[in-house]
Amino acid sequence: MPYPRLRRSAASWVEGLTRIGTQAQFYGKTLRSIGSAFVHYKTEIVRLIAQMSMGAGALAVIGGTTVIVGFLTLSTGALVAVQGYNQFADVGVEALTGFASAYFNVRLIAPVVAGIGLAATIGAGATAQLGAMRINEEIDALEVMGIRSIAYLASTRVIAGVIVVVPLYCVAVLMSFLAARFGTTAVYGQSTGVYDHYFYTFLNPNDLIWSFFQAVTMATVIMLVHTYYGFTATGGPAGGGEAVGRAVRTSLISAVFVTLFLSLAIYGQSGNFHLSG
Amino acid sequence: MVVVGGDVGVLESDEGGQGDSPASDPPGGRAVGPAGRVVGARGWAYARVSGPVAALGGFVGMALDTFVLMFKPPFAWREFFLQSWFVARVSILPTLMLAIPFTVLLIFTFNILLVEFGAADYSGTGAAYGAVTQIGPIVTVLVVAGAGATAMCADLGARTIREELDALRVMGINPIQALVVPRVLAATVVATLLSSVVILVGLIGSFAFSVFVQHVTPGSFIAGMTVITGAPDVLIAVVKAALFGLSAGLIACYKGISVGGGPAGVGNAVNETVVFTFMALFAINIIATAVGVQATL
Repeated sequence: MPYPRLRRSAASWVEGLTRIGTQAQFYGKTLRSIGSAFVHYKTEIVRLIAQMSMGAGALAVIGGTTVIVGFLTLSTGALVAVQGYNQFADVGVEALTGFASAYFNVRLIAPVVAGIGLAATIGAGATAQLGAMRINEEIDALEVMGIRSIAYLASTRVIAGVIVVVPLYCVAVLMSFLAARFGTTAVYGQSTGVYDHYFYTFLNPNDLIWSFFQAVTMATVIMLVHTYYGFTATGGPAGGGEAVGRAVRTSLISAVFVTLFLSLAIYGQSGNFHLSG
Repeated sequence: MVVVGGDVGVLESDEGGQGDSPASDPPGGRAVGPAGRVVGARGWAYARVSGPVAALGGFVGMALDTFVLMFKPPFAWREFFLQSWFVARVSILPTLMLAIPFTVLLIFTFNILLVEFGAADYSGTGAAYGAVTQIGPIVTVLVVAGAGATAMCADLGARTIREELDALRVMGINPIQALVVPRVLAATVVATLLSSVVILVGLIGSFAFSVFVQHVTPGSFIAGMTVITGAPDVLIAVVKAALFGLSAGLIACYKGISVGGGPAGVGNAVNETVVFTFMALFAINIIATAVGVQATL
């Protein structure tokens, strides 16, 4: 066989392309089956919504998905207070911390951190469940019984993830606002009137709605990626864990890219920000 | 053996009971007290509380063991280098792929603001400040927890359920010393190195985006970079990254060696690793930032 190195690298390219194709096919099938999942597997969707919002196993003990995502945005909101207040105080405009909270929390921090939280809790949980099912050959058993496995397992999880993310994101945004306000007014001692004035002046309801849109899109992408990796887990007992790791890496990257492109698309032309008038 | 090498083994059974899905388990199944007898409703509540507390205790015990054994002579150099390479190999691509969009996002949002103020020349200041103080550490958190810790936990968990750790114990080798210490140190070292990569990539990415896309003058971008960001900030970023690596390594190793319950167990352990490391690292980040801000301003 001539050119072994060339052939090897060509084979790895072809393999990579094939993997992308298989993934795209899986995502297409999952999205197409959403309708039939709604028709046939309503109880499964409701069960998954309950399970996702509460979390399972050891995660439920510390309060479930809502508390975890809330905690993450709480800590980043507090970061706005710490970093923003001190930096603004350095140039004498610490009154504008409320503005920083209204601007950066909505556009940047809350969507990204909520996406990270979703990938870590709901997403990784779905991969772990599906991976265990695949390795125990439960998915094959479903198919033998004539159940549409993609609709029953993947589409239902995507639907449930998108439904759960809406209240979850409300909690996330509120937590980031509250933490920034608490940190600035109670810890650093700014008067609440000053903070609230600049916060409400620069809080743009349109931005908030767009950031909800970002969160829902991210949830869809994250659930698709995580169900794919769980669905195709291989390699015995250890394979489930490795699939979760790979899925988290991929979904974090895709979530951040989705946020970036949506931000560029939404705010790219005009910026949609007016300091005066 | 120093403090609690044996305690971790006892914990495994507790963790296995907690990890199962509550719906399919009859309550009696979990209400097994520490002595192994089935107990009543009060015992059930006791088991629910004692599970997490025991896990926390086991974690602290393992951490103490790790710190003590770090300085005991036979140091597993080979395992340390292998693990460093393993963590670095797993994390380098996610690092680049996360650092670039994050900085572009920050620079984009920040420049909207600066253009509105008429201060676009200062975008270098914002880029340097954001990349060094926040984007660097946050992306390091994501990479260390999402890539390094998950891979480490999956690897160690697979060894645990194949009973390789028990085999090591039988042979008289302490798995904490042979496996956990080099992994924790490898995570610390690699996280420190990764944070510098993130900062560099962030600065280059924001320079390219500001200059070529948003038409900021390159000279003023470079000149603005050091206005409010100095060596202390860089030092704090590196220290933060080392702390992240240390805690992520400890959590991943604890979850890895306390895996129980077959194939589903490893997946759940990795899932819990991601969640707990994210929570721990975000908490560390805010405390370290508050301390750092006090120290530099």
